[in-house]
Amino acid sequence: MTTLLRRLAGHLARGLVMIWVVTTFTFFLVQAMPGDPVSAQYELLLQQGMSPDQAEAQTAVTYGFVPTGSVWSQYTHYLWQLLHLDLGVSVKAQGVKVSDQVLSAMPWTVVLVFSGILISFLVGVTLGVVAALRRSSATGHALSLSGSLLHGVPPFAIGLILISLLASASGMQIFPSGGSVDAEYVPGFNGWYISNVAWHAILPALAYALSTYGGWLLAMKSSVVSVLGDDFLLAAELRGLSPFTRFRYLARNAILPLFTVLALSFGLMFGGSVFIERIFNYQGLGVLLFNSIGARDYSLMNGAFLLITIAVILANILADLLYTVIDPRVRRA
Amino acid sequence: MKRSLLAVTAALVVVAGGLSGCGEKPKAANGGTYTSIDANHAINVSAPINPYNGASNAFQGYNAMKLAWPMNDLVDLNKFYPGIAKSWDVNGDATEVTIHLQPKAKWSDGTPVTAEDIKTSAAVAYTQGGGVFALTPGTAGALGDVQVKGDKDITFTQAKGNKNNTFLNSVLQTWVLPKSVYGPQLPDNFWDLVKTATNADPAQAEAGKAARDQITALGKKLVAFGPQKDVSAGPFVLDSVNPGEALLKKNPNFYDADKIAPQQVKLRNYADNQAIWNYLINGELDSAPYTSTPTDVVNRILSVKGNQKITGLSQVSAALAFNESYAPFDKVQVRQAIAYIVDRAQVQKIGEPDSGKVATHTTGLIEDAANKWLGAEQVGKLNAYNVDKGKAEQLLTQAGLTKKDGKWFLADGTPFTFKIQVPAPFSDWVAGAKNIASQLTDFGIPVEAQTSADFATYQSEMAAGKYAAGLWLVGLGPSTYNAYARMYGSANGWAPAAGSVTRNAPKPKGNWINSPDTADVAGLGSVNPGELTYQLSQLPVDQQKDTIAKLAQFTNDQLPMIQMWNYVNVQFVNSTRYSKFPPNDCDCLRLPHGVWMQLGYLQKK
Repeated sequence: MTTLLRRLAGHLARGLVMIWVVTTFTFFLVQAMPGDPVSAQYELLLQQGMSPDQAEAQTAVTYGFVPTGSVWSQYTHYLWQLLHLDLGVSVKAQGVKVSDQVLSAMPWTVVLVFSGILISFLVGVTLGVVAALRRSSATGHALSLSGSLLHGVPPFAIGLILISLLASASGMQIFPSGGSVDAEYVPGFNGWYISNVAWHAILPALAYALSTYGGWLLAMKSSVVSVLGDDFLLAAELRGLSPFTRFRYLARNAILPLFTVLALSFGLMFGGSVFIERIFNYQGLGVLLFNSIGARDYSLMNGAFLLITIAVILANILADLLYTVIDPRVRRA
Repeated sequence: MKRSLLAVTAALVVVAGGLSGCGEKPKAANGGTYTSIDANHAINVSAPINPYNGASNAFQGYNAMKLAWPMNDLVDLNKFYPGIAKSWDVNGDATEVTIHLQPKAKWSDGTPVTAEDIKTSAAVAYTQGGGVFALTPGTAGALGDVQVKGDKDITFTQAKGNKNNTFLNSVLQTWVLPKSVYGPQLPDNFWDLVKTATNADPAQAEAGKAARDQITALGKKLVAFGPQKDVSAGPFVLDSVNPGEALLKKNPNFYDADKIAPQQVKLRNYADNQAIWNYLINGELDSAPYTSTPTDVVNRILSVKGNQKITGLSQVSAALAFNESYAPFDKVQVRQAIAYIVDRAQVQKIGEPDSGKVATHTTGLIEDAANKWLGAEQVGKLNAYNVDKGKAEQLLTQAGLTKKDGKWFLADGTPFTFKIQVPAPFSDWVAGAKNIASQLTDFGIPVEAQTSADFATYQSEMAAGKYAAGLWLVGLGPSTYNAYARMYGSANGWAPAAGSVTRNAPKPKGNWINSPDTADVAGLGSVNPGELTYQLSQLPVDQQKDTIAKLAQFTNDQLPMIQMWNYVNVQFVNSTRYSKFPPNDCDCLRLPHGVWMQLGYLQKK
């Protein structure tokens, strides 16, 4: 137990340092981006018919929220705010807390990407084992081919195909073509609301699953094939162990390399899936991040990047700790 | 594989269906649900219900009202449809306007909209600045006084000595806010602060600055403020909002509620134009805002049952703009030669085939506005720069360029080549720029169209003078000052300051066009276009014609930019659920669709 705690403390300390490094890097990266929110908003207001001086005044109010002074003073101000768990306020949605915006978009992305990852992982890994065991049969070839094909098709293309097949007037209009839930449904833990959320999430989740399943399938197939030749499987067979037990041995060892990738995928899911969210007009973190970049909303960009960084680092720590549980060799080392 | 996917999909459906045993299914609204998109901003769940906020859950024309709605008339920027203001009287020299409110106007909480609400609205507008609500002493056209004359009457007076022809326009475009909500946010001495802040007396400079700082700080606080529950004077009240859409229900207290057909309005969020097109292709929108739409998408949209397009005037034009600090664009002959080389009809056909009309004359205004101001005959006398490659060769030679082996060289022997910069997300600009580049390359001037990652990058790099040429929006109407300020305003270094206009040095102030202060034009002599443009902000509408004529002739001769196409306002509507949409060329087309309803358009089928 003490070893585990010491290990956890070490991971957390390293994680905090990594968060600081990445936060610093992204802060300066965001600052170095050409363009600024003031001129972006000014032009937008002009195009909406506002006179130049009105647009200038309106943007001046906005500009008041962007920390002024040297980049260094902005950086220290930002870090000081972070230490107080304050992500600041959005530049575009003046005065609205970044944390509120990020937290309101997060559940939608989690619903979408989590279910997408889960579906693609379960289907991909299972079919990967089948493809490896029957690698010389037509089934094996067909599975590998499907994995390679879908792995190569961009997610937005899969999204567009699904929309035209299952959500457009010219195809089968079974699912909604966009949005995350109909506004008529009262939010809460009630059946109509949850089913409406699920209804909207099916196509984007399916698009995400289809676009990532090939990767899992191919990785699992390759991992199973490499484990198949190991001595311990031959020994198990010679000891007369049942095929199910041998399959358990095989799967447990073959899935190890995929485990870390899976954990990181869960961390990365907080970045959303920009292409899929945009195609399905699904207002999650991906769209939020994309829009914040377009509007040069520095504080929102920094907040979104920070969330992704923390999620990936935590997922990494979790994967590392769980790895010791599922692979005793690591524990002994 | 296919079966697995179907099984997964089916499982999700079953889970969803299973959960549907509890809760209540929303009932369809009697007057129907009108589904559209608010083009002013995307929906943001966390944003306040405050029209001044950049994200805002106050939707113009639906639950956010102005005193009146601009008609976007080609000539008169002071033509408005009534809003909360039923009518208004303007005094002889247009320095005072008395607003008469709609007698039946009420807030959604049942209380009447009064002149006190409008005074509070003016106070909040002061905290946000701009237009007549400028705090800087001596600002042209600034408001001098606001006087409540009765329950439903209020007078706005322009500050003495600083006339500006946008005074009425600016007053009528004030957002109407409830005093019951915003009043408590203002300090009791607010109007004294305004008086101190706008005092031009040098002896009071320090106190003035302190007052301005206090009001600016208040503005930052107020822009983030919004009531928990919507209090609307518009035809709808915000009911709920989620990341994908906002639901607004009909306001029974709206003064013209009988005209409003839909029982509720659903405004969908959108990530980009593609999202809007997808909704249109699925017939899910009753109307959509203007987007620059490629022909194949237009055809797909129009093939859907009930979908149709309404076209009208768009007061904006796309132009090829030059940075004159890059040789040889400092020579007018080179700019004119390029105008003779490029076939603008071809550019428009490639760049903006459905939502554009070729720009026949470069005047700084859109073609229709130029015709209306100057008359088609006078505009016809300007140079149309019809394709004439011989003339172009002659002009380039005059400018000191030489032609060798089919390619053009500058006087110092270096090849004449340049890039046309455009933002990558603007597909119409990209296509147009590529066509211009290809035409110039064929002529012997190797040109490439180069893209910037996004508009913010494009804008800042252009302002920093990094591009020799790029595409730029000009002719922004209806204010002629706004239109000409695109060429002879801040982007070219001219800035109005304390009753006159000054010329800023290049880079620090974003002066990227770099035209000379003056230029000689046959028949006009030496012209300072920045001065003339500034005059347009001062002159009454009926006295602007001569100045516009000079600026149009100057622009047509000097060509700081070459207008390629004038935009056409193309909007898609679906007549399956609602009828009586505004007709083509309606001057209401640029207004939010909630205003269409206020004007009596849209009836449930």
